[in-house]
Order: sequence, then C-alpha cells, then structure tokens
Amino acid sequence: MTLLTASDPRMNRDGKVGAANVGEHAVIALADIVKRYQMGGHDVFATRGVSLVVPRGEFVAIMGASGSGKSTLMNIIGCLDIPTSGHYRLDGVNIRDLDDRELSRIRNRKIGFVFQGFNLLARMSAVQNVELPLAYAGLKAKDRHARAEAALRTVGLGDRMGHFPSEMSGGQQQRVAIARAISTNPALILADEPTGNLDTSSTIDVMSMFADLHDQGRTIVMITHEEDVAAYATRVVRLRDGVIVGDHQRVPIHARDEHVAHVQAATARLDDRELPS
Amino acid sequence: MNMMGNVVMALRGISSNWLRSLLTMLGVLIGVAAVIVLLAVGTGSSEAVAKSINSLGTNTLTVFSGGGGRFASQTGTKSSNATLTTTDVKLIGDSNSAPDVQSVSPVISTNETATYKGATYSTSVIGSTPSYLPASNYTISAGRSISSADVKSHAQVVDLGSSVASNLFPTGSNPLGEQIQLGSSEFTVIGILASKGSSGLSNGDAVVIAPYTAVQDQLTGQSQSFSQLLVQGKSSATLTLAQSEVESILAAQNNTTVANLPFSVLNQASLLSTATSSSKTFTALLGWVAAVSLLVGAIGVMNIMLVTVTERTREIGIRKAIGAPKSVVLSQFLIEAVVISMLGGVLGILAGLIVVRFKIDGVQPVLATYSIPLAFGVALLVGVFAGLYPAYRAASLRPIDALRYE
Repeated sequence: MTLLTASDPRMNRDGKVGAANVGEHAVIALADIVKRYQMGGHDVFATRGVSLVVPRGEFVAIMGASGSGKSTLMNIIGCLDIPTSGHYRLDGVNIRDLDDRELSRIRNRKIGFVFQGFNLLARMSAVQNVELPLAYAGLKAKDRHARAEAALRTVGLGDRMGHFPSEMSGGQQQRVAIARAISTNPALILADEPTGNLDTSSTIDVMSMFADLHDQGRTIVMITHEEDVAAYATRVVRLRDGVIVGDHQRVPIHARDEHVAHVQAATARLDDRELPS
Repeated sequence: MNMMGNVVMALRGISSNWLRSLLTMLGVLIGVAAVIVLLAVGTGSSEAVAKSINSLGTNTLTVFSGGGGRFASQTGTKSSNATLTTTDVKLIGDSNSAPDVQSVSPVISTNETATYKGATYSTSVIGSTPSYLPASNYTISAGRSISSADVKSHAQVVDLGSSVASNLFPTGSNPLGEQIQLGSSEFTVIGILASKGSSGLSNGDAVVIAPYTAVQDQLTGQSQSFSQLLVQGKSSATLTLAQSEVESILAAQNNTTVANLPFSVLNQASLLSTATSSSKTFTALLGWVAAVSLLVGAIGVMNIMLVTVTERTREIGIRKAIGAPKSVVLSQFLIEAVVISMLGGVLGILAGLIVVRFKIDGVQPVLATYSIPLAFGVALLVGVFAGLYPAYRAASLRPIDALRYE
C-alpha cells in the first residue's frame, strides 16, 4: 500500500487541486466541486468541495456510506448532473461550458457506463445492446456490428450474441454491460456498484474483468461500499459527508500473492452471509 | 441513429404490446374509414340528385299549369282557370317570339295499366309530340319514334319504355307491331325506348309515350289544355333567356304580368345548381362528423403514447446515459406514434374501400378520389400531433431521474 505523498505534482499539501494547475493529461480533474440541493426550503449539500485528479490508466474506487455524496459525485463525473460550483475537466474538456446535446455526445464518446442494475434494454439482444452507443455515435450498421461482436468476445460472451437479457444470468448481463461500455473505446469506464446485484462467483468474475481492462491500460472509476470489491482498485478514495477523507494508492489484490487465498476467504465469508442458518 | 433503425425500433415497440397497439390503431382506423365512407355517401347522394334532375332533360324548362307546381315562385293572384293551350305551344315554338327556344312539347300525363295477353304493368302514359323524346333524353332502341303525322292523325301508336316492354313481353319476342291495351283502348307498339335507368326519384323506364291527340281521344277526354309544357332551350347558357321569353309569352296570353304568372316555370339548370350547393353542404357536414371521430382516434394515440413514455422511463434514461441526444429520443417516440397512426390509416383506407362497395341507406356511395390522400394525410398529421407532446416529454427527461425510476 503506497500513500500518495505531498510532493506528488498532482496534489498540493491539503490534498486539493487548484483550478489553474489541473493536469492537462488527467482523465478526470475535479476542482472544488459543490452540489447543493433545495429541499423543503433548506439547502442540502451533497458534496462540499471535492477535488480529485485521476490520471490515465488508474483504477479508482470511490467509497463511502450512503449519504456520503458518492452517488452525486458519480453523476457529476458521468456528466449526468452539473455541479452547483467548481470546475470539472473530463479528458481535457471543460464540462461546465456544455449544453445538453454536447453532454450527450461526451457521455457517448468519452464514458462507458456500467450500472448496478445492468440497465440493458430488455427488448434487444446482447449484440444489439452493445451496438446501441455505437449507433448513437453514428457508426454504420456493418461497422458497429463488427465492433459489438469484438467487444462481446473480449468479455467472453462470443457465444451469447443473440441472447436476450432475460435469457442470461446476472453475471452475464453485467458482462454485456461491460462490453457496451468498452465498445466505444471511451476515455473513462464509470461503474456504479457494478457488483451490487451479483452473487460471489459473479462478483469475482466481473471484478477480474475490470482488473483485465485496467491491465490493458484503461481508466476506471468505480463507486462501491464493499471493501472486497474496492480491493481490486489501485487507488481508494473515501468520502464522508460530501468531502474526501482518505485517498490511498495501493497494490491491487489480483497483483498480490495472497489473491487466491483472499478470494477463497471472501467467498467463504460472503457465503456465510448469504446463507444464514 | 438513422431513420430505418428508428422505424424498426418503433415496429418492435408496437409489436411488443400488440393488443394495445391494435386497439389504439382501431381509433385511427375507424376515423379514417369514416372520412372515406361518409364523403363517398355524400358524393353518391349528390350524384343521385344530379342524375334525377338531369333525367328531366337537357337544358329544359318545365311549365306547370293550374294551381302551380311545388316550385311555384308566387302565391296569391293565381287564376285557377288559366290553362296551357295549343296557342301557347305555337307561340313558344315560334322562333320570332321565342328565339332561344329549341323546341316545345305539350305534355298530358296519366297513369294506366298496360295489358298484353294477360300480362299487366302499371305505367305512366305521356301524351306529347315527337320533340318530347330528345328533350327528355329518351332515345329509340328499336322501331321508330312517334311522328308529327301520328300526332296529326290521332294515331293510336306508342313507344314503350324498356321496363314496360320487358314486363309485358316475354324475353326474345318482338313487341314491334303488337297491340297492347292501355285502359280500354288498343295501341300499336311502334318503338322501344333505350333504358335511362332509375334516377332515384322515379323509374324513367316505366313509361309509354303516345301522340297527345290519341291520349286525349282515348284516355283523358277531349280538352284543349295541357298539364305541362316541356321547353328545350338552345343551350345551357341561354336557358335563362329562354325562360324569360316563355314567361312573357304566357303573361301576355293571360293578360297578366310575369310576376303574377299563374304558372310555375321550373328551370332545370337553376334547380341543379341549388341541389348541388345543398349536397355540397351535406357532404361537408358528413366530413366534419368523420373528422370528429378521427380526433377521438388522435386522442387515443396521444393517451397511449403518454402511457408508453411513462412505462419506458428507465429505457429512456439508459438511452440518454449512453449518449442518445434529445433529438434521437424525440424522433424515436414521434416515429412510433406516426407508425401507429399510419398503420391505422392504411387499414382504415382498406376498410373504407370495402364499405363503399355496399349501398348505405339506399345511397350507392361514390368514392371521392381526393378522400384517400386526404385521409392518409390526416392520419399522418394525427400521428405527428398526438406524438409530439409525449415524445417531447420523453426527450426532456433528465437521465439521472429516468435511471432512478422504478
């Protein structure tokens, strides 16, 4: 486990990143992000000044209890929501300046989403689901079909192309979602509790896939509240009450010798939890 | 996303809930079919009226004697003993006193039972002159017309209408030269009239035409007056001129003014234009009734599209999250609404085309050719109108709200 030192050029002493020195080459550069809601006449702060830089190739887990602001942060990083104040640059593009149409385009080109509930379209087959973002990107039918098939082979579903979501297990559906996320070759893969609806073996299956994608050099940001899942990341950011309370670099679990033992232990623990006597 | 992909998506959406889509389509189907059928009924009835007016003859004026006909333009100082006489006929037929009159035919009409070897048929009997036939659009299909010589010699000869001929004589036999009985008198058949067809108001073929002199002698009794004069003008353009000439002659003959004429003069052209304009109103009224049912269909489409958008909120959220711009979501739902109404429209046109083949309440509908593109265009508009608001709602959904929707 390696701690990020204060001498790291990306970060100043109090862990915040100024708008001026945001790294040009970072995939994500958040500076003092505040999100305020009006609720019954009161101001409620979901985030109170979050600054975070994610360089290319990192696998970041954002952790926190419910109400910590991690979902709000995820929506902002995913360009699904606009911060009340602060700056956000995604792959060099300033998100504040964009209108609805441009935000759609950014989501389409730069972000691959993986949701907790898979969020596949039930009336479409696996390959059609994977083709969908490519269709919105304006690819021709032949090209997008080829790319969707390649993405499905990457996640090991080369033999399930024509299956509908209802004909697949949760783990398989989430792998289709991962294929959909990588099909556009995005700058960022954004996963929101990707294993929240999965059993233990599917969880390991899906997390291994994220680990592989990370090894291939992809940048991944994952929201989770499970330590076992966060163990696959190279960096863990902890949120509490809308601020960052911890930010650590570490060797991911799959790169450690004790990986297999850990997996077995985790499996045993989770099995105990799922099957109360 | 291209157009074709959107249409395929829309069809998939429609077929995924086919019963609901079918019921929605039914609203548009009935509306479109109603437009086509009701416009066809309107057109059919106005054509029937025009046909029955045309059967009065071509460019004709009809002068009714005595108490005036249904179309009397004046009431009041009508002399009950004013009659239409042979002098009137001579003056109206004179090209000096009435230059725009082609011909004038005195008419005596009565109803008689025609008998031939036990077969009987009730028919109207027209006593007139040879010019009556062309003025009333009768043509001879066999034999010859009554002639001026027949009129002069009080010859007991008749031209038979086709219904009379077919009812009295067995098929294959030749009626020409045979003797038939009208009332108690014998008449010789000299000609058969070509069929004019039924005009809705009366059967133009249930008629026999004889010289008026013979009809007076044998059936109605001696008299110098006629029940009607059938006047044919030289052209439709000068028919109004001919009418005023006839009216002044009759006024002079009866020592009165045109305004107080004791006869009524029916102008076929003005009757036709009156009937045409009233049947146009009738057709337009039917069209509006159909439009109301189409509006109800449109509301049905809109209702279902709103339900669909609500049901598919999560799908919309997913699509927007992975990069569908507003315009694509908008067009997806708009196309779905348009496809539903277009399918309804096409089926409605087919249903309309089938219904139009049958007689409705005694009227044979006549398909108005403009009604098909009209109905199709309206169905398209219905889809756009009914789909626009629901599609706009779908497109305006915020992806985070839509994704959270259960």
